[in-house]
Amino acid sequence: MITREEILLTRECVGYAKAEGASAVRISLTKSIENLVATLDGEVDKVTRCADRSMSIALFADGRYGSFSINKLERKALFRFIREAIETVRMFAPDAFRKLPEPGRCCRTAVNGLEMGIYDPAWESVTPEDRVRMALEAAVNGHPEPCCHPGACPELVEGRSEGSPFRLVSEEGEYSDSEYDTYVIDSQGLECRHTETSFDYGVEVTIEDNKGNKYSDYWWTAAPFLKDYDASSCGATAVQRAAAQIGAAPARSGRYNMVIGAEVASRLVSPLLGALNANSIQQGNSFLVGSEGKKLFSEGFTLIDEPWRKGESGSKLFDSEGVATSTSPIIENGVVKRYFANTYMAGKMGIKPTLEEAVRPRLCGWPSAGLDRNALMVMCGNGILVTDFNGGNCNMTTGDFSYGISGQVFENGKSVRPVHEMLITGNFLELWQHLIAAGSDFRPCATRLIPSLAFSDVDFSG
Amino acid sequence: MKMRNSIDIFGIGIPQLRAIVAEGLKGGNWCDLYFEQTVYNDLLLRDGAVASGGFHLDYGCGVRVLDGEKTGYAYSESTDFTSLLDAARAARSIAVREGSFGVSAGAPVPPQLYAMKQAWADADKKALAAWLERLEAAVRTREPRTLKVIAMLSWSQSDIMMYNSLDELTEDSRPLGSVTMTVIFGDNGKTEQRSVSRSLRCGSEMLGDQLLADLAVEAVTGLDDSFAARRPKGGRMPVVMAAGASGILLHEAMGHAFEADFNRKGQSIFSDKMGRRICRKGINILDDGTIPGNRGSIRYDDEGVPGQKTYMVQDGVLTSYLHDRISASFYGVPPTGNGRRESFRYNPIPRMRATYMESGPDGSLEDLIASVRKGVYVDKFANGEVRIGEGDFTFYVNRGYLIENGRLTMPVKDINIIGNGPKALADIIAVAGDLKIDDGTWTCGKEQSVAVSCGIPSVLVKNLTVGGE
Repeated sequence: MITREEILLTRECVGYAKAEGASAVRISLTKSIENLVATLDGEVDKVTRCADRSMSIALFADGRYGSFSINKLERKALFRFIREAIETVRMFAPDAFRKLPEPGRCCRTAVNGLEMGIYDPAWESVTPEDRVRMALEAAVNGHPEPCCHPGACPELVEGRSEGSPFRLVSEEGEYSDSEYDTYVIDSQGLECRHTETSFDYGVEVTIEDNKGNKYSDYWWTAAPFLKDYDASSCGATAVQRAAAQIGAAPARSGRYNMVIGAEVASRLVSPLLGALNANSIQQGNSFLVGSEGKKLFSEGFTLIDEPWRKGESGSKLFDSEGVATSTSPIIENGVVKRYFANTYMAGKMGIKPTLEEAVRPRLCGWPSAGLDRNALMVMCGNGILVTDFNGGNCNMTTGDFSYGISGQVFENGKSVRPVHEMLITGNFLELWQHLIAAGSDFRPCATRLIPSLAFSDVDFSG
Repeated sequence: MKMRNSIDIFGIGIPQLRAIVAEGLKGGNWCDLYFEQTVYNDLLLRDGAVASGGFHLDYGCGVRVLDGEKTGYAYSESTDFTSLLDAARAARSIAVREGSFGVSAGAPVPPQLYAMKQAWADADKKALAAWLERLEAAVRTREPRTLKVIAMLSWSQSDIMMYNSLDELTEDSRPLGSVTMTVIFGDNGKTEQRSVSRSLRCGSEMLGDQLLADLAVEAVTGLDDSFAARRPKGGRMPVVMAAGASGILLHEAMGHAFEADFNRKGQSIFSDKMGRRICRKGINILDDGTIPGNRGSIRYDDEGVPGQKTYMVQDGVLTSYLHDRISASFYGVPPTGNGRRESFRYNPIPRMRATYMESGPDGSLEDLIASVRKGVYVDKFANGEVRIGEGDFTFYVNRGYLIENGRLTMPVKDINIIGNGPKALADIIAVAGDLKIDDGTWTCGKEQSVAVSCGIPSVLVKNLTVGGE
């Protein structure tokens, strides 16, 4: 945790920068500790301890601006660094729009960093032995009945026509726990703090079928509290996902209904959030230029930023400028409600500033709450279920995209055969007009709360 | 450039290095230390002015203890003796067996790879900013449809010192200069975006008139075709890949699967193919850390092993994986200088450097295009990805053309190409004699980010899946 002495030193740096000629300054001090135990095939393979401290300094001087960072936090070195930084800022061209946010927009409620309720004091009592135990307990290979044969885990191959056996070639697991603490101060009187802990487990498995073909997949979980951490099903889920791909082949090219699993659906939301960022809009590098207030998407598409979800990782009371966050719609019933504009970009564009970016966006269930992936498949009848992406990109000026995918062909609402080496192509504006339904099965451990989604008329080629 | 002695930079002496390594060896049979000081600078041109930038200092030391193939790792952002002893104690928790100091077999000192006529630290920042402004002017002069130019110049200097339980002390001082430029063009309400970049391990002398002209020309060349480009009808078809940036095919589809950690763990699709033919005779694929000034070049890797040139495929046969010290020990071969890391915060793992295919015997790019009745020609790429186990890869094509009856016809863009690494390699049916290494800002993201480059001569792949309408 950030110490009293470190806070005092940071305050002193703000004063020093002002004394050396800075017109304004904001400093973010971050400190984190992460402990990690990695396993390979049920044995400990790597133990890591990471302890980081860093100071990021936004400096304003003579109508100019620069950003700097340093991880040598000795007083003398910091003061020298700040002097050099101010000299550097003075070499840049003036920019009238560079300034700190209006004090009235800034957060006043993040006083001790614990307000969001995502710091677990139990983190401090986790021992190296506990970490090794938790890493080994989560490993499939550590189980008395390893899932190296469908006989051990018959449900893993349920629904597959071949039912061929497979063996587990490799299992890489990684347990980690961390403490993250950040303190932000500026020369207008802002002081705010955010502290959180996290307990995480991720696993990647590779299996081999009886023809020598290999398939790999992953699964992960995370929780801010040790009592909520449960990685017991991660390994089996990863094996199940890999086994579901045995015998995968491309489906016939054409237009299909697409259901996308909650575990990867965020991939289709990220380009929208990027395109709503004023950085992209001001440069004309966005397919959502001029979109604010317009209905561009399906009636059922509602995306809300909910940064104050207490007790959930990623929730936060302020952004990187120290501006107070709030619950607000991003897209509501298909209408674009807001851009993400920090103080600088808002000034340049002559619009009202909002936040740097979405903190914890949640996509709302539609047409009714409570649907999950299976319900969406039943609703669609036939189509392709996407369970993973493999590469791809989006042209941010046009919204055209193309992504590699793998998953399952489904008929009458049930998976019938695995597919891979396929591509989906289209345009994001059109894709989101074709939203049929949105589930409510998002993973709370993810930063973006995006559920399974169903779309009609998606171009698949393979 | 006169380099400061690494011992002075990090404020620690040989006796202390030995003591820290001895502490680490109480829990393993290998211990190494990786000291790093990196100063990173950037200047950003946007809306016609260089009105922001900054610099960033990153400093610390990583301590690694190995017990066979098991790794213990810790780092400290302070390089005082006490902090590093603590880090060594944390790292050694991986094991209980005790090792001892070994004896270095000795290695030749590699040649200097980073020509540095003008150190970045000595460059006048106002002159650097002026170069960016001239770059924007050059683009606007060549192309009146230019709407916006965003250009970033960044440079870093990393001073590295490595010490290990063979009592080997090595140091490297790595410069890296990069220019990236994104240009937005507008034409009758349509917009097009182009991104171009260069990245070299050299000093600020890279910012000459030639580079400025090259980037400006590259940004605007073929713009009419980009505005006219459409998505082709998707499906499986022959693909001709232009020399240079198409090397991403090698990086994604084959290079990662040749990295020895994936093979040691049995995950790679090539893990049981050493010594076997994996593509047609005459094809040579290598990973090279010795190209002077190249973004992927390293005098020493991040385990203190000299950078070198490693053939993975010779005459169509798989001859070597890419090794760090762990995998080399596992396979009983010498390390290939591929143990790399993002910074002192990470333990090294096998990573590529500059990966390319040597020129082949099948004529020119035009010959390859002429041999295709119906297919696609691609020459500008954005990014790629691979699934190691299956070998399935994709890469994203910014620009290309349809090939119809041996001629380039309709321009195409924003398509993905997908295939399977071993199949694609086996399906390369022609290799032209025009190898080109691409000097763009390629960064590989396997667990950690490291600077790499890639290259390839023009090649014809018999059958790949092209995404389309």
